[in-house]
Amino acid sequence: MPRPIWSGSLSFGLVNVPVKLMSATRDLGVHFNQLHEKDKSRIEVRRVCTQEGEEVPWEEVGRGYELDSGEIVMLTDEELDAADPKKTRTIDIEAFVDLEEIDPIFYDHPYYLVPDSNEAAVRAYHLLRTVMERSGQVAIARFVLRTKEYLVAVRTRGDAITLTTMLFHDEVRSPDDVGIDGVPKPKKKEVDQAVTLVKALQRDFDPANYDDEHRKRLLALVDKKRKGQEIEIPEEPEAPKAVPDLMAALEASIQRMKSGGREALEADAAVEQKDPAALKRLPKKDLLARAKEADIEATSKMTKDELVEALTAS
Amino acid sequence: MRENQEFMAARSLWNGAIRFGLVNVPIKVYGAASSKQIRFREMHITDAAPLEHRRVCAKEDKEVPYDEVVRGYETSPGRYVVMTKDEIQAPARERGKTIDLEDFVPADQIDPIYFDTPYWLGPQQDADEAYSVLLAALEKTGLVGIGRFALRTREQLVALYPVDGALRISTMRFHDEVVDDDDLDLPQPSKKVTDREAKMADALVSSLQTEFDPSDYDDTYRERVLEVVEAKAQGKQIVAPAAAEDSTSTDLMALLEQSVSGARKQKKPKAKARKTKAKA
Repeated sequence: MPRPIWSGSLSFGLVNVPVKLMSATRDLGVHFNQLHEKDKSRIEVRRVCTQEGEEVPWEEVGRGYELDSGEIVMLTDEELDAADPKKTRTIDIEAFVDLEEIDPIFYDHPYYLVPDSNEAAVRAYHLLRTVMERSGQVAIARFVLRTKEYLVAVRTRGDAITLTTMLFHDEVRSPDDVGIDGVPKPKKKEVDQAVTLVKALQRDFDPANYDDEHRKRLLALVDKKRKGQEIEIPEEPEAPKAVPDLMAALEASIQRMKSGGREALEADAAVEQKDPAALKRLPKKDLLARAKEADIEATSKMTKDELVEALTAS
Repeated sequence: MRENQEFMAARSLWNGAIRFGLVNVPIKVYGAASSKQIRFREMHITDAAPLEHRRVCAKEDKEVPYDEVVRGYETSPGRYVVMTKDEIQAPARERGKTIDLEDFVPADQIDPIYFDTPYWLGPQQDADEAYSVLLAALEKTGLVGIGRFALRTREQLVALYPVDGALRISTMRFHDEVVDDDDLDLPQPSKKVTDREAKMADALVSSLQTEFDPSDYDDTYRERVLEVVEAKAQGKQIVAPAAAEDSTSTDLMALLEQSVSGARKQKKPKAKARKTKAKA
């Protein structure tokens, strides 16, 4: 079980449920340590006082806020507490809303709330969970974690209550803010074809369908390097250009999806667009078959990279 | 504050193309969210001097210049495989400059717990038409594209969906990165929730029900921290308030009843009240 990050209570009207906060995610990323090149020993990052030039122990580290003038105002933890007028350790539910009303742009990090093990806490927790699940409502609440106040969405997931921190409205951008505007009205015929194509590619969402291939590939490279093998660095990829005839590309996609399915469609896209990255993801026997179809001289003795090169050069 | 940063023209983070079937839609990627969390500098309490971080070789106990730092993957304690920057980035480069859509799934099947960082996609020059067609098809079907895309050094799983007349992607957590509720060992109550309790809790939820409007919620804490900074800069003494008392009663039914009658008296939801005040 993950370790609690915070403990306090979830407050709902006059009901307070003592809870612990746990991260709902685990870090499975591949991490590298900084090493000193010449002796391969670990690099430590030390906090050093710019005035004394000496390392500073954690107990002597304070917080400073830099004003526009460049002057730094130092704040103690007690002074910072003054910004939290109630000095609460509660997650205060302010409102209940429909889940669909919350744009996922606001979601930041998900956590679980786990009740203390006493009967009163457990009962109140399950009561709130039951009621929220039944009504499909999400609670909007606030709480302070370390030196930041968070707006959070509290909702149910299976037998548990989750808490997801949210961004405030002035922390997100609209399409207008980034300069996306004046998207033209599309032609009906093209939209109809695109609808047919996306429906042909429709399936149910199951997160287990998607593994982290990047993690696997990176670990495989580490292993290769450990064995002293050379690692080939792919060239900086180029972005594909727009298709010259959108309607034709949509129609061809639908046809090939019907005749050959998803995999054939992917292979067609890679071959027609001469995209080395997409070609490299295809099995070697497919590359060989495609090369022969295109009247390229190819033999099974060629490596995958040679086949990709032949297909992109033609 | 550095408010002026906001008004700088948005720069794209990445240029490439969405690919589904044989169709390419050349797009630009823009950040959609940026935290305004107050950043503090680390200070030395005893002499009020700022701290700096120095890289020190653990063996030599000497500062190491950045160009002597390499990255190593620890295969067993103290044993590292050193990888160059290019080698670490090789898997991301293999993805190419495309957002490859693999599937289209119904939007309501995705638990938002999987969503991570959002980005807006804008059409590149000459791609307006293809962009608007894909946008319209997703709006019409309620489907979300699921695909893969390499931003900077990491390939990500992404969901592509339409919002406010534009396309957006959210990077997604992988299934094994999300903790399941079964892993939590949640304690179970010995007595079931009674109907009376559930009804009363329902009434309380209903009394607090409102429409979600993000602008109802301001980061008042950020504002208050800046006030404290201001006061301190002017040499004023800062006094922290005493801790609030939590209610200690455990009579669930009584607390629910009191909450419901209290909520009824207070007609406007708290959030709305704050908004009116802020606008006045």
